[in-house]
Amino acid sequence: MGNSEILVDATAGVQKRKIFSAEEIYQLELEKVFGRCWLFLTHESEIPKSGDFVTTFMGEDRVLVVRQADRSVKAFLNSCRHRGNQVCRAESGNLRSFICSYHGWTYGIDGSLINVPLEKECYGSPVDKTNLGLAPVAKVENFNGFVFGCLDPEAPSLREYLGEMAWYMETFTSGGRAELLGPPLKSVLHTNWKLPAENFACDGYHVGWTHAAALKVAPAGPLGQLAGNTGINTTEAPGIQIATRHGHGFGCIWNAASSIHRGTALNDYLLSKQPEVAKRLGEWRGKLFMAHWDATIFPNCSFLYATNTFKVWQPKGPGEIEVWTWSMVDKEMSSELKRNVQKEAIRTFGTAGTFESDDAVNFHGCMRTNRGPQTRKGQLTNSMAVGFDKTHPELPGVISELSFIGETAGRNFYRFWDEVMDAANWDEIRAANSHWTEDWLAPETRDTNGNGRNQSDHFEHRQTQVAGK
Amino acid sequence: MASASVSPDLHQQVLQFYYREARLFSGKQYRQWLEAMVDREIHYWLPIADLRYRADRRPPPEFVPSIYDDNYDDLEERIRRLETGLVWMEDPPSRIRHLTTNVEVYGTDVASEFDSFSNFLVCRNTEDTDETLTIGAREDRLRLRDGNLTLLRRKVILGQRVIKDTNLYFLM
Repeated sequence: MGNSEILVDATAGVQKRKIFSAEEIYQLELEKVFGRCWLFLTHESEIPKSGDFVTTFMGEDRVLVVRQADRSVKAFLNSCRHRGNQVCRAESGNLRSFICSYHGWTYGIDGSLINVPLEKECYGSPVDKTNLGLAPVAKVENFNGFVFGCLDPEAPSLREYLGEMAWYMETFTSGGRAELLGPPLKSVLHTNWKLPAENFACDGYHVGWTHAAALKVAPAGPLGQLAGNTGINTTEAPGIQIATRHGHGFGCIWNAASSIHRGTALNDYLLSKQPEVAKRLGEWRGKLFMAHWDATIFPNCSFLYATNTFKVWQPKGPGEIEVWTWSMVDKEMSSELKRNVQKEAIRTFGTAGTFESDDAVNFHGCMRTNRGPQTRKGQLTNSMAVGFDKTHPELPGVISELSFIGETAGRNFYRFWDEVMDAANWDEIRAANSHWTEDWLAPETRDTNGNGRNQSDHFEHRQTQVAGK
Repeated sequence: MASASVSPDLHQQVLQFYYREARLFSGKQYRQWLEAMVDREIHYWLPIADLRYRADRRPPPEFVPSIYDDNYDDLEERIRRLETGLVWMEDPPSRIRHLTTNVEVYGTDVASEFDSFSNFLVCRNTEDTDETLTIGAREDRLRLRDGNLTLLRRKVILGQRVIKDTNLYFLM
């Protein structure tokens, strides 16, 4: 955080309550997290043609994302260089130019200023348009069709940023096979953006209790049996937790693909594709292809693979977000199956979703308590199965094989949040790449140089770091 | 679509139908509503659209996202979820009030079916202080059978692009 206060001890799995409610922390997040990390913008399938555009947010900045004549995608701050007015007021469309509604300044789809009305008559001399184009988003890149932007020119490439998470996401996105069906549903939640992001990264724990009602009426199966959180009825570990560099992570339940959807159409489709995926990407990703995933790409993009919902948590202050929800399908699916998958995804995780509706009461409840000046002191925990986080001979990242119910990916989320809030720049973050797990992993998997630390050592280490600033 | 006005008696019957529906909704007596007032062939639909410029010539998306795209069994399942007693948001219960206004009724090509337009206002109170208003329009197809009206199709139209309530898990 760059001050004397420790806000996160990810090794112990605790974080201060104030990170969810303090306005000054939120303002820093807009700079240090949303101003520097890669953020989801759109999917290529939403803007297929030259001049196609969507408008969205990067943190609280309004941005315009446009398909160029050369098929590349550019993004700009959606703000006229004259008085700052929003140059594009639609959510999507196809245009040859963007005309500001205030005085008519006109920008090309490449962001360049191409016309200033009454220039000759009223400016006296020609306006130098070369420096008055729309401010570009520093980097726009896509991963298998998913378009992300980054406002920091010093950031690593999207591929490096996704890192090991990209290895996992190849499972269902390779070759650009996944696409999103928009426009997104949008709704307000009175919560901090980190709560749902953390929830999607790791929280299999809440499924059986929060969603007990939805599970009671859902199809019986690997998820249905969780209703009531009374026990997990399987003979083997039902899944794992996975955490990767830069705060990304997910929990997966083996052999649970499509288990929230009714009917067998999606499962039959995935089964028909599974042998090819296993052959091309190997046995583990073949297994992951038939798993159910709850995942977060740091900071604010989450998805449920095999429930086919894809979300962005747009921050609107420390205590409010907009939830944007797309349905995620495979391009090769028949139109009938796409429609069916979209219906099931929205029925469960849309704005009136049978599962979605359960979450708001808790996300809201976690926030409204913080109005109490005594309540908001202290810390909250993310310590489930601390000590079980390990490296794995075949799976990249940090893995907990104890259960899909865990907080490994949650600890990782706050670990990176703390790191990015603390770091002066991307070079500092890069410098930690080679040893980002050293003070974290369980003793038996620590490196042979004895770099592992126990929890109290970690706290002292962090305090020394902070004191040295 | 709408052709001829209907008799005052039928208009009165439709008004009574909507007032009864609003009363059942306000009491969350959704199963009574389903069983007494809804046709087995119901399509209950709440599509969404993004904000586009008037001159936008692009067709709507092939797969229109819909907050509700329910048939009879889908509605029944939603109601069954509420009846489990495990919906924490409803315990303590929210309070909800439905108003229905601006009712117009017209005959159609089918003698036993009528089109109607109406507006609604829903006020939902949750927890101790939270209150949301949802205002919208409905385009309904009603069916008259043995003197009883049932709801055959409903399209709900909302002005909110970003839904201000935390969810729309209530019927409109």
